[in-house]
Amino acid sequence: MSIILKVKKDLILVMKFNNKYKTIFLDLNSDSFEIKEKINIILSPALYWVKKIKLPVSSIRDVKKLLPSIFEDTLPDGEYSYSVYKANTESEFFIFAYEDKKILKVIEEKNISILNVIGIYFAQSELSNIDSAMKIDEKQSLYVKDEIVILVPCCWLEEKGELNLDLLTLSKNKINIEQFAHIIDMKSLYKFSIALVLLIILVFTELFITLQKIQNVYDLKEVVFEKYNLKPTIFQNKSMLKKYTKIDEKQIKIREYLSYILTIKLKENEKITFINVTNKKIIVHFNGVDSKKTNHIILKFKKNTIKFNLKFKNNTMQMEILL
Amino acid sequence: MNRINPLYIVVLLVLILLFSMFKLNNAKDDLKEVKKSYEIVNNLSTKLKDLKGAYSDKKKIEKSLKNILSNKILKNSSLEYTFKKSSLKIYTKKMDINSLNFLMSKILNNNYNINILQIKSLSDTKASLKMEIKW
Repeated sequence: MSIILKVKKDLILVMKFNNKYKTIFLDLNSDSFEIKEKINIILSPALYWVKKIKLPVSSIRDVKKLLPSIFEDTLPDGEYSYSVYKANTESEFFIFAYEDKKILKVIEEKNISILNVIGIYFAQSELSNIDSAMKIDEKQSLYVKDEIVILVPCCWLEEKGELNLDLLTLSKNKINIEQFAHIIDMKSLYKFSIALVLLIILVFTELFITLQKIQNVYDLKEVVFEKYNLKPTIFQNKSMLKKYTKIDEKQIKIREYLSYILTIKLKENEKITFINVTNKKIIVHFNGVDSKKTNHIILKFKKNTIKFNLKFKNNTMQMEILL
Repeated sequence: MNRINPLYIVVLLVLILLFSMFKLNNAKDDLKEVKKSYEIVNNLSTKLKDLKGAYSDKKKIEKSLKNILSNKILKNSSLEYTFKKSSLKIYTKKMDINSLNFLMSKILNNNYNINILQIKSLSDTKASLKMEIKW
């Protein structure tokens, strides 16, 4: 009981939904429409091919696979799409072939914007219940013969009236028109899209890994800061390093120059009487040096391009070596 | 029938791909920069650690200097020395040449920050000394 109620409720919803939009009948000979609102379209039999067929399969999916070969010999050349729905009797199906491009062209010719089209249906699925011929324009009528909705000239049959779609409840046999299939090869496009998606996934994965690596390096950097008790900024640490490097360089120079001084081979009456290391220079006093014969003392300094000054006072040579 | 043109989706995918490649490229550049910066920090910290250890490790420097100054050879040199917060001052009016050689070889062969060093010859075997070592 509750299931029946639910079905009824759903049906009412569908009807309400369908009634929200106007439904029009689209034929090659239809006049142009002046429609700005959303609509449903019922295709005239002139815009599709239909067959009622009995097949030894039960599912619509299996039938769909067979459709191109069933229609193969009957259709004129063109790019066709196919559709199918079950007939009332077991193993019987209504099968359809239609040209998306042709339908789209007619829709455009009749001044209908494709953006306003909610759904497209076959006359076969929506109007197979009409009990006599229905006039659709001055020249044509719709008629059901052997369960197939067909288009016949007006004068052939006596019509009961004009086709009225206002109270029609549309079925679920809506079709999708491939708007772009005639422009592009959809299969190639799908393959290309899949390749693109895979590439995007690949790139994003690499991006994620790279970001992770960056984070790891940041973590390592923090570990180094903690381990060596560094100052918070690189600038401060560089400045400290500069200070210590300066001290180190100066101390190396002091030791190097003192080593030169202490290894000079002085003459018999010559001797070092004073060594003074200050912040910027080393002062050495050599006693008993002839001012004209200083080569053996200054040779090493000259060779190593060390800056120095010489002064003579009494019997003493005063050497100032810049640090 | 308001369907999106599949080409728009392809264009969107291409744009997403280009965007992700751009981001990846930037991330790779960032990674290079971060690695470079890490190398710099690593080198800097190693050098800083070595230099700080050599010139400003107060405990280590004080201990080694006390060891040198307490050596027997220097006992007769009447050395006067004062340890301050960040320096050591050594002074003597007269010391023999062997003690001076011993002291100088110890000081010069280690990484001490010699701020002042003044040696004045008094005779062939005697000299005066004034020295300041900082840390």
